[in-house]
Amino acid sequence: MRKWLILLVLATVGATCARTASAMPFAQTPAEPGRAVTDETGRHMTVPMNVRRIVSLAPNLTEIVYDLGAGDLLVGDTDFCDTPAAARSKPHVGNPQKPSLEAIVALHPDLVLATASINAPETADTLLKLGIAVYTTYPHTVRQMLDSISEIGALIGANEQGDSLKASLRARLDALQTKLADRPLAHVLFLVWATPPMSVGPNTFIADALRWAGAESVLVTHQDWPTPTFEELLRIQPDYIVLTTDHEGDTSGAAQLRADPDWKGLMAVQSNRIVTVNDRFDRPSPGLVDAIEQLAHDLHPEAFLPAVNQ
Amino acid sequence: MKPLTPRRVLVICGLLLALLFAAVVISLRMGAYPITIPEIVTTLFNRFAGRSDQIPSEFLLVVFGLRLPRIALGIIVGAALSTAGAGFQALLRNPLADPYVLGVSSGAALGAIMSLIFTPHVAGAIQIASFVGAGVTISIVFLLGRRGGQLDAATLLLAGIITTSFLSAVIMFLMTMLSGRDLRGIAFWVMGDLQTPPVIGLKWLFFVLVIAAGCIYTTTSDLNLILTGEQEAHHLGVNVRRVKLVVYVASSILTGLAVSVSGAIGYVGLLVPHVMRMLFGTDYRLLVPTSAIGGAILIVVADTLARTVLGTTEIPVGAMTALAGAPVFIYLMRRRVR
Repeated sequence: MRKWLILLVLATVGATCARTASAMPFAQTPAEPGRAVTDETGRHMTVPMNVRRIVSLAPNLTEIVYDLGAGDLLVGDTDFCDTPAAARSKPHVGNPQKPSLEAIVALHPDLVLATASINAPETADTLLKLGIAVYTTYPHTVRQMLDSISEIGALIGANEQGDSLKASLRARLDALQTKLADRPLAHVLFLVWATPPMSVGPNTFIADALRWAGAESVLVTHQDWPTPTFEELLRIQPDYIVLTTDHEGDTSGAAQLRADPDWKGLMAVQSNRIVTVNDRFDRPSPGLVDAIEQLAHDLHPEAFLPAVNQ
Repeated sequence: MKPLTPRRVLVICGLLLALLFAAVVISLRMGAYPITIPEIVTTLFNRFAGRSDQIPSEFLLVVFGLRLPRIALGIIVGAALSTAGAGFQALLRNPLADPYVLGVSSGAALGAIMSLIFTPHVAGAIQIASFVGAGVTISIVFLLGRRGGQLDAATLLLAGIITTSFLSAVIMFLMTMLSGRDLRGIAFWVMGDLQTPPVIGLKWLFFVLVIAAGCIYTTTSDLNLILTGEQEAHHLGVNVRRVKLVVYVASSILTGLAVSVSGAIGYVGLLVPHVMRMLFGTDYRLLVPTSAIGGAILIVVADTLARTVLGTTEIPVGAMTALAGAPVFIYLMRRRVR
């Protein structure tokens, strides 16, 4: 009996300590008025009217911030943020999947930008709990990416830049669509990775970007990141294989495929219908539109002949 | 061996608690945000004296928002896993028993993932599901481990290993199928990780830990007798069935609790009770409390290393416990042989 009494006392004391230690008195003292914002994942937060310190948790968001002309406001980004070159010299908070929360807090951000496609949901949840505003984007399509750009522009006080950037990107996409209007869709195998082959499902952002470039992913699947077997690829026989350059802009991927006995079995490899696009194709950022245009040119060169424009 | 007196238990536990406190202070000091030890001491003092307003706001965020909750979680998880390990070792009378080796951690992880899929918004459902997963798995392993009606050490371990790999495969399968949904990564469930603060409050975790570990502690004198032989214990008036049931349920609860908040961190339950046995002898009345504190120390140290050695990049704490724990274990084992 006495043992149990001691235990109960211990449990209560310990639990109280644990609560005192972890209860968060982080009533952030916003010296300036903020606005209530709901992000693309449905999280609610208050963002200061004048955002002065931004931390970006993904390469595409870093790129967007720079393209909005707000590179000076960026006080931190990730180890993977390499575009533009200036982003490399910003303080890094770790990799996007698992950034150091402490490093983020140490930078005193008044807005953290995250994306649901790379960042773990726990990162945003924890930072929000600490009283730091985290805006998470969740674009499924290229158009939603454009909306994200203007939304981020509005958040960081670059409304005009955001709207004009969105409009110009939109105009380029529309022009592309007009040009490709009567071209049949090219059936492509988009490779996220070549070994082992990993491609994209129809509901991904990349699949949508492919459609803008006049292409369609050959894989029909429920998965977002399917890993098809060679047998399946041999059966499907895609018209084209689309690779991305690596982060250093290295384009040797195509040569590697041509040398690989497994890949040689594909007609697209034999007849050298391998297209290498800039790796910005993977990133929901303004640079994506460049990559889409490039891919459209490579897949449908006829549509861009001067003769067509007569 | 020295006779076990309450005084000796208190002195040894007191020393270990002091060591744990030192580990906590050092861990509070380490991290990307620079804070000195004196600053930590003043911060802690101000906080517990109720003068939070005198603490710089970044210190509040870093110390009480990030580091301390994580350390507290580490203490709870480490104590739970080590006590469960000591419990399973007594229950199965096998020194190689441990929640991870026996597949219990994987079972708890699978339970937690099932709950994330089917009852994502029910508070506490993850904990209950992972406890059920732990309980069901240990029952299956227990049944598979029997040979001719007797528990056989080799068969039991084999059953545990096979169950672990089977359950890990099921976890991999589920995670691959459900990629894109808000499930934590495979690495979390297979390797273990303390970065994510649990949804359920730390105080409840602590409460359950103390009650479950307390249940095991109340049976320690009986466990000592059972370890010399079940028949003998029975003749000495020990209710063997009841004791085994208590230890079984409590150890499963502890494993489920730890895994549901931290994933399957391996080898803590194996390593810590062994180290404590080598240091302080096999008496369970001393082994259970020292294992609990020792487990807490191990996880706090391992997690501090996990989040600091590579700068801003974290290593899963499970990799760290195996990496840091194995050499210590080998050293102690060699020393005892000599």
